[in-house]
Amino acid sequence: MRWKTVSAIFFLVVLYLIIGATVFKALEQPYESAQKLAILAEKLKFLTMHPCVNSSELENLVKQVVSAVRAGVNPSGSLSNQTSLWDLSSSFFFAGTVITTIGFGNISPHTEGGQIFCIVYALLGIPLFGFLLAGVGDQLGTIFGKGIAKVEKMIVKWKVSQTKIRVISTLLFILFGCLIFVALPAVIFKHIEGWSTLDSIYFVVITLTTIGFGDFVAGEKGHLTEGGSEGLEYLDYYKPVVWFWILVGLAYFAAVLSMIGDWFRVISKKTKEEVGEFRAHAAEWTANVSAEFKETRRRLSVDIYDKFQRAASIKRKLSSELGINTSMNQEMTPGKRTLSANLCEDREPYPNLTLSLSPVPGALTRNGSLYLNGLSPDYADRREIAIIENLK
Amino acid sequence: MRSLGKSWLLLTGFVLFYIIYLLFGALVFSSIERPVEEKLRHDMDLLREEFLNQSCVNAASLERFLVRVLKAHKYGVSVLRNSSETSNWDLASSMFFANTLVTTVGYGHTTPLSDAGKAFSIFYALMGVPFTMLVLTACVQRLMYPLVLAPVSLLQRSGLEPRPATMVHFLLLLLLVVLCFFLAPAAVFSVVEMSWTFLDGIYFCFISLCTIGLGDFVPATQPGQRYRALYQVGVMVYLFVGLMMMYLLLRSFHKMADLHGLTTFLQLPRCEESDPDEDREPIVDDEPRQPLPKDQAASKPLDPASQPSYNSINKG
Repeated sequence: MRWKTVSAIFFLVVLYLIIGATVFKALEQPYESAQKLAILAEKLKFLTMHPCVNSSELENLVKQVVSAVRAGVNPSGSLSNQTSLWDLSSSFFFAGTVITTIGFGNISPHTEGGQIFCIVYALLGIPLFGFLLAGVGDQLGTIFGKGIAKVEKMIVKWKVSQTKIRVISTLLFILFGCLIFVALPAVIFKHIEGWSTLDSIYFVVITLTTIGFGDFVAGEKGHLTEGGSEGLEYLDYYKPVVWFWILVGLAYFAAVLSMIGDWFRVISKKTKEEVGEFRAHAAEWTANVSAEFKETRRRLSVDIYDKFQRAASIKRKLSSELGINTSMNQEMTPGKRTLSANLCEDREPYPNLTLSLSPVPGALTRNGSLYLNGLSPDYADRREIAIIENLK
Repeated sequence: MRSLGKSWLLLTGFVLFYIIYLLFGALVFSSIERPVEEKLRHDMDLLREEFLNQSCVNAASLERFLVRVLKAHKYGVSVLRNSSETSNWDLASSMFFANTLVTTVGYGHTTPLSDAGKAFSIFYALMGVPFTMLVLTACVQRLMYPLVLAPVSLLQRSGLEPRPATMVHFLLLLLLVVLCFFLAPAAVFSVVEMSWTFLDGIYFCFISLCTIGLGDFVPATQPGQRYRALYQVGVMVYLFVGLMMMYLLLRSFHKMADLHGLTTFLQLPRCEESDPDEDREPIVDDEPRQPLPKDQAASKPLDPASQPSYNSINKG
């Protein structure tokens, strides 16, 4: 059943991915086609406007420009007053994106040495950041817990149930946190970076879940200039504040995401409980039925033994009369002997047996239906014989 | 109160150390990459001049053209001739994108262009990221027994003490993961992707499996790639399984650190302590296994699910 559960969840994830894929495709492909047409039109226009340039030269130029941009150098705009992508503050920011595993990708190392160092750096830095995040999350949790305790003390006077308080406090946590870590930074980014509202919120969510596409990066505008216009001037403490916000916001988001994960788990546990109850009922039913079968079988075998005993005693009588020795008694196993000994005395134990046998299988099912279902008949017989003996 | 003060002290210590680490990284990156950047910039200057000299184009119109091209390229739309047939948003690529979204790798080689796409991404990520975390954790829990606990008990039965046994096992697991999920795929990538070297392959594997996902190397994006859809699905599977193995590695390291007393030293939650009550059971039902009952009790994942950066967060 366990593998089945895991594979069920796995198929759910695959389904989720497929749904996402179809929705993205439906939303984005028309846009992409429009962009493609637009840029091809641009290219044609350029080529017709400047007939001395042929198409292959242009392609070559574009290829080189594109790979340069990938390396972080933007050939458009005046190159002289462009800031480097690898000055200290930008490298600091890059190191931060590597360690938090956000990984925007607007800057990335291109030398072999840079790549190797990046690997080693990340190997050490990600666990380090993990510890830091754990610590910050801890402190956040404690602060939040204290606040909740205070609120609970106040609300207790109004005699509201504990679960309601918990639910309200969780909602408050989410709301408050969203305000501080999502809404406020989004407004700030919109103002400073000049993005639209949706773009700012999109950037905040993509960054704080550490997805980090890199299509929007705070503090990037200083490098890319549009058509020679002046780049945005950032205040000196802008980037460090952004980094600090990322740190605390990540802790908050981790808490929120783990809460959502807990909800999923609770839901799955509830379903599991219901399924488990159903399974327990089914197991009990099977146990009862098999107990009934065993009981009938026992009765039948007891009857047979009875008849056998009577036949044997008759035979003994006859043989003693005729003077022939029999060794019937020695063929019986101890179990059978005790059984016959117990059962030969009286027939009355049978109603007691039927009554007392049923709760016993129930006790066994409580421990796990494995016992009754997996047992071999001989073993079951021996156990139940022992039970019968104990009951006597 | 003393422990509270101690935890604050520890936290500030961590923050300080973290800042120093970042500064150190910044210095090294800067000194390695900056000269190369300078040279590239110089080359670009020359290229531009060359182009402008031999043609009738003036600087301004070239600027405008280049800006448009670069903007389109940022979103994955290329103006080059031979990339016009493949779309970045056909079903396999969209699924690849959804996968990078949900595993938080986030390459960024294609990003949603439309507003609706961005809004949908937000909600999709908010739901999908914890969901994926849950799935990965469930799988890792399920794999813990055959891959970690059973071999460790095997090692212990063959005479080793618990501490060296866990260490030996961890090293073996590490070796196996590095071989199968870094070296082998890197070799495959360096063959299939024509412009990648072996180091590029390893770099890509590492950056993806740590969910950093810089996006400078993304497989299946070369124009004219054969069997592109199949390739993308293969990379998705590799990402998923690789992520699972990384978390498995992380958990076994955590157990080992527990045993060696590291976690108590650093005042972090231990593997067992993190689930005191019985409602934190494993997501996936585990049979009570008689030989290792205590380890089953510790099977609730410490990481609120999958990321190394969300590692060991105490559920206060």
